[in-house]
Amino acid sequence: MKKIIALLLLFSAFYSCEKDDICSETTPTTPKLIIRFYDISSQEETKNVTGLRVTAFDENNTEVLISNLNVVTADSINLPLRTDADLTKFVFHKEYDIDDNDTPNDTSDDIILGNPDTITITYQREDVYVSRACGFKTIFKNLTFSSEIDSDNWIINHEIINFTVDNETTAHVKIFH
Amino acid sequence: MKPQLMLKYSISITLVLLMCISAKAQNDSIVNDSIRYTQKYGLRIGLDLSKIIQTVIDEDYTGFEINADYRYSMNLYIAGELGTEEKTTANEFLNSTAKGSYFKAGIDYNMYKNWFGMENMIYSGFRVGASTFNQTINSYTIYTTTQDFPQTTVTDAIDFNGLSAIWAELILGIKAEVINNLYVGLNVQFKGRVTETKPDNFENIYIPGFGRTYDSGRFGIGFGYNVSYLIPLYKKGK
Repeated sequence: MKKIIALLLLFSAFYSCEKDDICSETTPTTPKLIIRFYDISSQEETKNVTGLRVTAFDENNTEVLISNLNVVTADSINLPLRTDADLTKFVFHKEYDIDDNDTPNDTSDDIILGNPDTITITYQREDVYVSRACGFKTIFKNLTFSSEIDSDNWIINHEIINFTVDNETTAHVKIFH
Repeated sequence: MKPQLMLKYSISITLVLLMCISAKAQNDSIVNDSIRYTQKYGLRIGLDLSKIIQTVIDEDYTGFEINADYRYSMNLYIAGELGTEEKTTANEFLNSTAKGSYFKAGIDYNMYKNWFGMENMIYSGFRVGASTFNQTINSYTIYTTTQDFPQTTVTDAIDFNGLSAIWAELILGIKAEVINNLYVGLNVQFKGRVTETKPDNFENIYIPGFGRTYDSGRFGIGFGYNVSYLIPLYKKGK
């Protein structure tokens, strides 16, 4: 009888553990858009973008800096897409630099150098159930990519390789420059 | 420790003490005579107190269960439960409610050899349980690993109706007669789902009668604290 009571108490202790209520970092959740940069003159080869700074417009049309993309030199970037709208507008600013006119404390006369290109990515969203701890993730379908024409576009061409963003294993868009 | 858990422990301990007291009373009442060894047979009807208590203290839970057993032979009881439950499960990313009713049917086998005149039980049981229920996703927040954009929360309720599940249960429990014909008991139930209808693009987070589900698989666990009354029908010797 003592054994059975001990067992009962033991099981009630187990009952309180709810380990699968924490979303593990290794669980694939909302994927990011992977862009790779290729050389326009030799289209099989990747080519670094120098001094790239990426910003995006949120729901209040405020420009927000994408984390880890504040002036980087890379041939591949991961971009978060907005989960509250069917489009995300980005500014890809190449060779970003600030010329402070030798007055580092006065920002009014600063000149931003480099070449910004404005990109709009549209898609259809679908919310997919992951687990009780992670809830839902969004996947993005029927991707489109457009870049605004300005006087000096550094992005010359693009190609969508995967029209559905549902994982982060391969690139979704190629940009030629 | 969570208040519910504390409650569970304190009720366990109380019940254990009750068993001890009644066992002691048993000692005192042994009389050297030749009274025929008879036991009460009948229908025992009760309530699961833990569900009523949880309904009072947990605003995310409403539940009620009636249970009954009929003594078939010296150690074998035909037993069943009938109940309803409504449970809201919420975390940072997902808030859902399951609501439905269930019944369980099976047997209890008394493994405890009582002292003279006592009718307590330490038993193991088997049940087949079935539930029909609905689930509603009240809201969810899309899980992203980025902090660049604000989180998106969807609050349009999504309903999944006509869900069902069937499971099997192994039960381990005790029942003690505290006053004449009135029993208190506690039991633990180990459950394994046999079949369930899974909602499209969701899962069964909570199944009435079965309890919460686990990511690891088909198994679950449940507890009961019963108070029941025996309607004696006849007495029978060993």
